[in-house]
Amino acid sequence: MVLTGLAVVFIGLAAAFLSDSWGYPAPRVKIPLVDKAILDPTTVRRTYADLISAKEDLSDFDCYACHEKGQPPPLRYDENHKLLIPEEHVNIVMGHGSHGRNNNCFNCHNETNLTTLQPRDGRELKLENSTELCGSCHGPTYRDWDSGAHGRSNGYWNTKLGPAVKKDCVNCHNPHSPRFPGRKPAPGPHTLHGTGEVTHTPESPSTH
Amino acid sequence: MITAARNYLVFLRRCARVAFVGDWRYYSWMGVLTVIILLGLNAYAKQFAHGLIVTGMSDEVSWGVYIANFTFLVGVAAAAVMMVIPVYIYDNEELHDLVIFGELLAVAAIIMCLMFVTVDLGRPDRFWHLIPGLGQMNFPASMLSWDVIVLNGYLLLNVHICGYLLYCRYQNRKPTKWFYIPFVFSAIIWAVSIHTVTAFLYVGLGGRPFWNASIVGPRFLASAFTAGPAIIILALQIIRSTTHYRITDKALLTLRGIVQVSMIINVFLLVCEVFKEFYSGNLHVASAKYLFLGLHGHHALVPWIWSAITFNLIAMVLLVLPVSRGLRYLNVACVLSIVGIWIEKGMGLVIPGFIPTPLGAIVEYTPSLNETLVCFGIWAFGLLCYTIFLRMSVPILQGRLSKANEGISEPGPNDVVAETSVTSHS
Amino acid sequence: MLATGLAAVAASLKPLFEMEDITSAQQFMQKYYKELTPEDMAKVLQRIEGEVEKEYGVRPHVRDLRPMDGVEFVYALNLSRCIGCRKCVHACVAENNQSRSPEIQYIRVLKMPHGTFDLEKGDHNYASEQVPEKGFFYMPVQCQQCHNPPCVKVCPVNATWQETDGITVIDYNWCIGCRYCEAACPYWARRFNFTKPSIPAERLNPNMSYLGNRPRSQGVMEKCHFCVQRTRAGRYPACLEVCPTGSRKFGNILDPNSEISQILRTKRVFMQLKEDIGTNPRFFYYFDV
Repeated sequence: MVLTGLAVVFIGLAAAFLSDSWGYPAPRVKIPLVDKAILDPTTVRRTYADLISAKEDLSDFDCYACHEKGQPPPLRYDENHKLLIPEEHVNIVMGHGSHGRNNNCFNCHNETNLTTLQPRDGRELKLENSTELCGSCHGPTYRDWDSGAHGRSNGYWNTKLGPAVKKDCVNCHNPHSPRFPGRKPAPGPHTLHGTGEVTHTPESPSTH
Repeated sequence: MITAARNYLVFLRRCARVAFVGDWRYYSWMGVLTVIILLGLNAYAKQFAHGLIVTGMSDEVSWGVYIANFTFLVGVAAAAVMMVIPVYIYDNEELHDLVIFGELLAVAAIIMCLMFVTVDLGRPDRFWHLIPGLGQMNFPASMLSWDVIVLNGYLLLNVHICGYLLYCRYQNRKPTKWFYIPFVFSAIIWAVSIHTVTAFLYVGLGGRPFWNASIVGPRFLASAFTAGPAIIILALQIIRSTTHYRITDKALLTLRGIVQVSMIINVFLLVCEVFKEFYSGNLHVASAKYLFLGLHGHHALVPWIWSAITFNLIAMVLLVLPVSRGLRYLNVACVLSIVGIWIEKGMGLVIPGFIPTPLGAIVEYTPSLNETLVCFGIWAFGLLCYTIFLRMSVPILQGRLSKANEGISEPGPNDVVAETSVTSHS
Repeated sequence: MLATGLAAVAASLKPLFEMEDITSAQQFMQKYYKELTPEDMAKVLQRIEGEVEKEYGVRPHVRDLRPMDGVEFVYALNLSRCIGCRKCVHACVAENNQSRSPEIQYIRVLKMPHGTFDLEKGDHNYASEQVPEKGFFYMPVQCQQCHNPPCVKVCPVNATWQETDGITVIDYNWCIGCRYCEAACPYWARRFNFTKPSIPAERLNPNMSYLGNRPRSQGVMEKCHFCVQRTRAGRYPACLEVCPTGSRKFGNILDPNSEISQILRTKRVFMQLKEDIGTNPRFFYYFDV
C-alpha cells in the first residue's frame, strides 16, 4: 500500500520536475549599457600645443586679424567694476578668481603683443607655454603639477616602454573660468537581487 | 584472510538488506525523506546549471543558509562527544550502550556538513583542487583547509569506531581495546577541535568586527553542547518507541544534566557578548544593532533573534526547574533549545556578519525557494542516513543480527512491529 | 516502486541540460598557474583565445604578463580632487571585461558627508543631477592591494596570491568559488560570478591577460588587479586615464623619482583605509596639503 502510494508520488514528482516550474530567480531587469562618452579618457579641452601638433586651423588665434598692432585694446567696466566682454569675445565667461577680482585681460595676456602671454614679471610667453603663466601665480599647485601630484598624465608610467603624456593646466581648466563645472555622475551600482538599489543612509552634512 | 574478507562482505550485505526492510511506518518515513531529497536534488541541479544566482546570496551577503546550517551541524557532530566523555572518562553505565547512537549521529551530521559546504561552492567540479598531492591546499594558513582536514578526520574516526564496535558485536566477540580506545580519546579532542576550527573560520577575519571576537569560539562550543545532546535526547526516545532497545530514563536525565549546564553557559556568553557590543557602543556595533534592533529601517533578522533568545530562555528555565525531570517538559526544552540555537548560530551569526558590508552598504538577505529546497534535501538526506544507521545498528546491538544467525533469520518488518507493540505497552 | 523512484531521480536532474557552459576536459584537468610550464601556458593561452573567439566572435590577444623586476605598484588617490563622477567605475568595467548584467564593478564610489570617515555614512547610490555637491566629498574604493592581504591568507586552494609587484591576482581556472576571500576582505573588493557573466561582444576588450581581464566563468571570484594587462606593459590603469580631475596617481614606489614616490614623500597627509586592521594597503588617499 505504502509502496504503491510512493510510486504514485514519485511519478507525480517526475512530472513536476519535467514541467520545471519553480526555483528560478525572477527574470532580471536588463541593466542598460553605459554611454560610451563616459569611457572616453581624452581631456575636456585641447591646448594650443595640441592644436599645433594636430596641425589644425589656428586662424582663431591670429589676434591681429582684427586688432590693430601697437594699439592695446581698451577694457570697459560696468558700475560694479565688472569687466564688460565685447561681443567679438562673447564666448568668454570671466570667472577667474574669487570675488571677480581677476578681471583684467592683461593680467595674463600681453597688452603689447596679443598673440603672447605675459606673467607679472614681464616675461613674454608663447601660448603653448601657458602652464608657466598659471604657475606664476599658483605656486603650490604648479609645484604639485610639476611633481605629478596635481593634474593628469596619460600613457605610460614606465617611460622606457612608452611616452607619458603630461596634461597642461588648460587641458582641464578653462583659463577664463578655471573652476570645474559640475557634471552628471555616471549611473550608480545595481544589486544582484531585488530592487537593484544599494541601500544607503543619506546623511546631511549639517548633522555634524 | 580471505575468510575474514568474505565474512565482512556478508556483514555489509546483511546490513544493507536490513536497511530495505521495515514496516509501513518505516517505508512511509523513508518515502517522505526520499521525496524531500529528490526536491533538493532537483533544486541543486538548477543551481549547478545556472549558478548561485538562484540563491538569495549576493556580493554583499556572500554566505547564507548553507553556511549557517553547516555551522550548526558541525556543532551537532561535535556534541556527540558529550556522550562519550561520561562513558569513557567517568564510566557511566547507563549511557554505555547508547554512545554508539551519538557517534552515528555525528557521522550523519558530518555527512550533512560536507554536503552543505559542497552546495555552497561556485565550482564544485574543482573540489579536487583541495586534495593534497593532487591539488593545492593552503595549509596551515587557511582556516578552511584546517576545517576540511578536521571534518574528514572526524568522519573517519567515527566511522571507524562505530563500524568496529558494531562488527565486533555482530561477531559476538569482545572488541580489542587498543583498536578503539585510542580512537575514542582522539575523537574527544577532535570533536572540540572541529568546532573550534569552525569558529576560527569566522574569528580570524579582521575585517568583520562582528565575527572578529574571541567569544565566538566558546559560544560555539556551549551552544553545540546544548543542541547536540538535546537532539540525542529526542533521538533516543524515538529509538525507544520504535524498537524495544533498552534506554533508561536515567540515561536521558544524564544527558539533561549536560544540556542544562551548557544552556546556562550559552546564555551567559550571549549576555557577555551583548554587553560588550552595546555598552561600549563604538562603530563596530552596527552588525549587532542590525541583528537585535534593526539598522536604518532594516530589520529582517530582528524577529528571528528575539524568538531565538526567547526559546533559549524558556528552555533554560525549564531545564533548571525540576519539571524537566519529566520527559514531557524535557522534550519541550530540547525542541526549544534546538530551534533557538539553530537560529542564533546559523542565521544569527552568519548573516549579520555581512550587514552592513565593510563599505557600510546595507543589502538584506532572504533565502530563495531553491536554496531552501536544497537545505531541506540535505537535512532529509542526513536523516535518511541516520535512520539507516539505526536500522542496521539496533538489531546488531540487540543480537538479532549476528554472525550466529547468518542464513537463518533476517530481522524483518514483523520484528519491528512486534517490538513496537511490546514497548508501547510497557 | 524502485523504477518510479529512479525515474524521479532522472527527472530531477533535468536542469543540468540547461547548462550554458560545460567544462571541457582540458579545462577540468588544467593545472595550477604556478605549475604550468611555459609550453603548457602557451597551449592554455591559445585554448583561451579559441574559447573567447568561439563565444564572442572576436579573436583576443591573451598574454601571460609577469611582474617586472624592481617594480612595486602603489596607487594614490587625491580626495581633495575627486568629484564623484564615476567615470572610473565604468572605464574599469569596459577595460576588464566585467559582466554588465548582472553587474560586476570593482570600484565603488562613496559620497561622504564632510567631517567623517565613517563608511556607514557613505552613500553608494547617489544619483544627483550634478556632482560634486556642496557638503560632501567622494571616496572611490577598490582593491587596496594589501601587503598583508586577508583574502590570500584564507583561500583554501591558493587560487589567489600576491605577486612580487604587489598585485593580488586570481587564477580563475583554479578558484573553487567558496567565497571565503569575499568574507575576509575588509574593503569589499572581491566579486563573485553568481551566474555566467554577460559581456556584449562589441564591448569586449580584446587585449587580455591570463591573470587579468580575460572573461571569467560562472562560479569564480574576480577583483581589481590594477589592470595587469596594461600596467605590466608599462601603461597606466584604465581608471586613472579616464579620471577627469587627475585625482588618481599610480606608479612604481621602488623608483624614487616616480610620481608616486614624490607624492608620498612630499604630501603631509595621506592615509590607508582601515589602517587598524593591519592590512597595510598599497592604496593611499591623500589631500592637497
